[in-house]
Amino acid sequence: KKCDQILYHLSYYSALVLCVDVGFSMSNSGPGQEPPFEQAKKVIQKFVKRQVFAENKDELGLVLFGSDATKNNLAKDGQYQNIYVHRNLMIPDFGLLEEIQNDIHPGGQQGDWLDALVVCMDLLQNETLGKKYDRLNIAVLTDLDSPVSPDQLDIITGNLKRAGITLQFFLPFPMDTDEAGGGDVGGSGPPHGGKGLSREQQQGLDLVKQVMMSLDEEDGLDEVQTFSDAIEKLSVFKHVEKRPMAWPCTLTIGSCLTIKIVGYKAVCEERPRKSWSVVDAQTHQKEDVKRDVVYCVDDDEETEVPKDDTIQGFRYGSDIVPFSKVDQEQMKYKTDGKSFAVLGFAKQSLVINRHHFMGNQILKVFAPKDDEHAGVALSALIRALDELKMVAVVRYVYARNGNPQVGAAFPCIKEKYECLMYVQLPFMEDLRQYTFPSLENNKKYTPSENQLSVVDSLIDSMMLVEENEDGEKKDLFKVNHIPNPQYQRLFQCLHHRALNPSAPLPPVEPWLITALQRPQAVAARSRAPLENMKKLFPLKEVVKKKELKTSKELSTEQLFGNREVYRTAVWKQGGLQNSGLVTGRTGFQILNIIVTSLSHIINAILRD
Amino acid sequence: MAEWNAYYQNEEEDLDGEEGEESGVDYKTTGRDSLVFLVDASKEMFIKEESGELTPFDMTMQCVRSVYTSKIISSDKDLVALVFYGTEQSKNPRNSFKHVYVYHDLDTPGAGRVQDVDGLRGEDGAKVAAKTMGSGKTNLGEALWCCSNLYSDIKLRLSHKRLMIFTCRDSPHEGDSERDRQARTKAGDLKETGVVIDLMHLMKPGGFDVSIFFCDVVSPPEDDAELGLQMEPCVKLEDLKKRVRAKEMKKRSIARLNLCLGEGMNVAVGVYITALQARKPNPIKLFKDNNEPVRTKTRLYHTQTGSLLLPSDTKRAQVYASKQIVMEKDEVDVIKKFSDPGLELIGFKPMERLKLHHHLRSPVFIYPEEEMVTGSACMFTALLKRCSERNVFALCKYTRIRNSPPRFLALVPQREELDEGQAQIAAPGFHGIFLPYADDIRTLDTPQLPTASDSQVDKMKEIVQKLRFKYRCDAFENPVLQKHFRNLEALALDLMAPEEIEDHTMPKIEMMDERLGSLAQEFKDLVYPADYNPEGKTANKHFDLGLKPKVDISEDELRGHVQKNTLHKLTVPILKDACKQFGVKVTGTKKQELIDALTAQLAN
Repeated sequence: KKCDQILYHLSYYSALVLCVDVGFSMSNSGPGQEPPFEQAKKVIQKFVKRQVFAENKDELGLVLFGSDATKNNLAKDGQYQNIYVHRNLMIPDFGLLEEIQNDIHPGGQQGDWLDALVVCMDLLQNETLGKKYDRLNIAVLTDLDSPVSPDQLDIITGNLKRAGITLQFFLPFPMDTDEAGGGDVGGSGPPHGGKGLSREQQQGLDLVKQVMMSLDEEDGLDEVQTFSDAIEKLSVFKHVEKRPMAWPCTLTIGSCLTIKIVGYKAVCEERPRKSWSVVDAQTHQKEDVKRDVVYCVDDDEETEVPKDDTIQGFRYGSDIVPFSKVDQEQMKYKTDGKSFAVLGFAKQSLVINRHHFMGNQILKVFAPKDDEHAGVALSALIRALDELKMVAVVRYVYARNGNPQVGAAFPCIKEKYECLMYVQLPFMEDLRQYTFPSLENNKKYTPSENQLSVVDSLIDSMMLVEENEDGEKKDLFKVNHIPNPQYQRLFQCLHHRALNPSAPLPPVEPWLITALQRPQAVAARSRAPLENMKKLFPLKEVVKKKELKTSKELSTEQLFGNREVYRTAVWKQGGLQNSGLVTGRTGFQILNIIVTSLSHIINAILRD
Repeated sequence: MAEWNAYYQNEEEDLDGEEGEESGVDYKTTGRDSLVFLVDASKEMFIKEESGELTPFDMTMQCVRSVYTSKIISSDKDLVALVFYGTEQSKNPRNSFKHVYVYHDLDTPGAGRVQDVDGLRGEDGAKVAAKTMGSGKTNLGEALWCCSNLYSDIKLRLSHKRLMIFTCRDSPHEGDSERDRQARTKAGDLKETGVVIDLMHLMKPGGFDVSIFFCDVVSPPEDDAELGLQMEPCVKLEDLKKRVRAKEMKKRSIARLNLCLGEGMNVAVGVYITALQARKPNPIKLFKDNNEPVRTKTRLYHTQTGSLLLPSDTKRAQVYASKQIVMEKDEVDVIKKFSDPGLELIGFKPMERLKLHHHLRSPVFIYPEEEMVTGSACMFTALLKRCSERNVFALCKYTRIRNSPPRFLALVPQREELDEGQAQIAAPGFHGIFLPYADDIRTLDTPQLPTASDSQVDKMKEIVQKLRFKYRCDAFENPVLQKHFRNLEALALDLMAPEEIEDHTMPKIEMMDERLGSLAQEFKDLVYPADYNPEGKTANKHFDLGLKPKVDISEDELRGHVQKNTLHKLTVPILKDACKQFGVKVTGTKKQELIDALTAQLAN
């Protein structure tokens, strides 16, 4: 058993218990307000949904208190009553989501949240026994509106500390509520509906503060949040943070100067980890669908040939060159290992042609964590480059036989750290140096002074960075704070479909739509300048007659001039079978071409 | 050019890993591009000017060769022809034209053609040219007529037709007005059929006067501004290559969209790609008996019934936490849709808000499309001018095609720049820089390390200064691509060995060491203690893995893990072994895929 753990438990995870108050007070709310129970349910739903889709292996338990039923290890002799362990530690799944949606209802009892906390601790300790976790955490969701017996408080906090369990509280009201209502509520204020808190709630809040402060004097109170804050934060689907992959290498300048470095991807397009698989429409089984690839000779019969009778080749312009994998491997360009070799240093102004940045990532390059000498050496390079406004042009190879890149390493000095920032630069073959007709030197397009000044007022009205009285700059639209809408939408739909398999997909969530739009203040400010723009810049859509003609030309030409399309077309008519080759829209385009050209031909015949 | 788009498409697919992303080029614009080199072969072309290193003819041939090879690499579907005029011998399809020598018919260039052109280079090449073609009477009209036949003999659809005249004689018919007139007429005919005629005029003693004759032959420049003809004749090969390169490629937009400034304010723009990573083309399958390419057909079958599946017979699925979630293919596509294709102005920001690390992929270039919405160019110009003068960029939401999710672009203004020779070095328009979303930025643990002292920094500054060079974006060739194509060339031409490539990505170690002299050691003395080895390798993890005993896991244990949903606690090698052991077929190698496969197998 021991051996198992050493071998298998190489990576660590967290264990978390959601401790939810379902007692009767949770159902009470002021007129027009959502009962705390419903809010708490939303919080845990959103949280569990996030965990399920993140598939991040954190284990989750669910404990209810204030429930009618009692089920827990400590319930004995009338103690720890109305506390119900709904789920032991497990990786959350859709079952749990469904249970939360359907099976969890408000109870009619009052629960002691401190007792519930003890049950949660017991559960965590028992179930994590002998396993290794990064973090143990209990999240309590309650309105604190039930009497508790605080005599065991010190023992409880002591145990939490010893076990390394962290604690979070989610409440229906902000923590400073009592100060506003506290004075006049006195001893017997209205427990609900009004702003003030009940005596139990005040006492509870004091206890919460006490517990949290004793666990973490500085930041403990940050872990007490309101339901509505939590709902807002949890609405955003978050990818599991991947542990950044370190890329250790050495930076070389000539043959004798080397500095040990470690590179990390700092900016890179995040992609969903899963792709869609094709399943049979009836059975929903992936195994029922088989993809089959056949090869056929380019003759009229399209004779199929077995795969073994094919060899690999490449086009070299009009030539076709047989070139086996073995030969290709042997003759190809080879690199002997990773590299971050300086080719020379160049002026930043020559390299910062933003539009010449290539590749799909930004790499940040540091010295290794424990190597202060490398740190000093790299720091000297970073600072020298920064002061001279220069960059290092480097040859970058990720790994043995990886494709070499030429890129620029920019100096980057921040308050907390300094590093080199590497970006790939283009090869000659990558550039398309198009020339475009001149705009400003063309009299037809030269804007008048009036037109320029209205553009100016538009820019003024639509500035997204504002300065307030204190000279602080505020950015109204930070793209790097917006979660990728594609994934928000994807997971919203996946979640919906998982729980409602036959219902149509829901509309995009309103907060997401708003996040992608021009900020309201800017939209309002820009209305007048935009109206002026409209008056001064006449825009007229050109209705194209030519387009019709070209499509007619094209259709016949493509049909009869290009054998390949023609063949596809014929074979398409044979029953739309070969879906792999002609996909979706392309197929329809071809079909359209056929239909239009056939009608042209028929018309022509009729006319004759 | 078709291939160019294909590259883009490939990359999109790589990125998305999804099928059905279309290239966004509408089919109206597809078709082959074609280019005819019409080269003067008169005696004057073979005379080296005092200052010049190459004869005009030699320069032209080098240029043709570089176009041939670049076409092979980046757009191998384009058609190219090489025709000489002013020759003694004649050779053309019907041999109806005198003093016109069609060296290469309009066709895709291949290895043989590159070799042919090589044969015309240098002094030996001049001899070959003299022997096969010779220099004779000039009749440009006949030559242009011949070229127009080349175009009309092509059965393929041609989208872009260009003809480039290379000559160092500004008065080819030496005042013979009849032949001048005939040439003008034929040039007019060609232009009428959509052929663009360019003049690549080369240095001539006493200067090349375009106005004598050629101004009536060539096509007017794209815009009304008097660009183009004012150009000085080319003296240097590099200039000629650059000029040819700029003309030779047809600009093609990947999308034509509306840039929406506000309600009812739509400026039409084209989206272009000016830099994109060129990749090794995909291999093709050949039938081994005749080395002809075979076509690949992919079909979907039903495993049980063996019947072919129509697209409507399938759905799409993803598995999360052991639950399969199924959607229609249409739904999968449509959930990516947020707005119709277009660029939507959000607002403006000062340029310093665009950070260096705001980079996800190569940017796009935005230029107005006056033909779609009149008035676009004027408004675009005003916007460009003021954004540039005020040093702000425009922030836009960008939806490229239907069902593509939105991205935000920083539209950075770039005003036109010309070099001394009036050639454009920067085109007017906006560069669209892709901005990262929150998900795209990773949080890193930054190490806390000491910083360098002034003396250490100063020493490094000396090193930096010693190794300064002037960076040019087109200075580096991709060695992987070059090597690949040299290999193919060698195989195609049956050469003994491929031509060696010069790898500019390798540091010039000796030169660097020499320039640095003792500086490297001085710097090391300043930053590294005597016993420190900056090259020392950290322990190689591969050794550890090799020594680790193999663990077999019992079926019971495995089932236990499946039940408790704790398979993830096993390492990938163990999971892989388990898959093998229980005969589970896995398509991928990702941990989740292994787990999913094992779960599917063992759950029942």
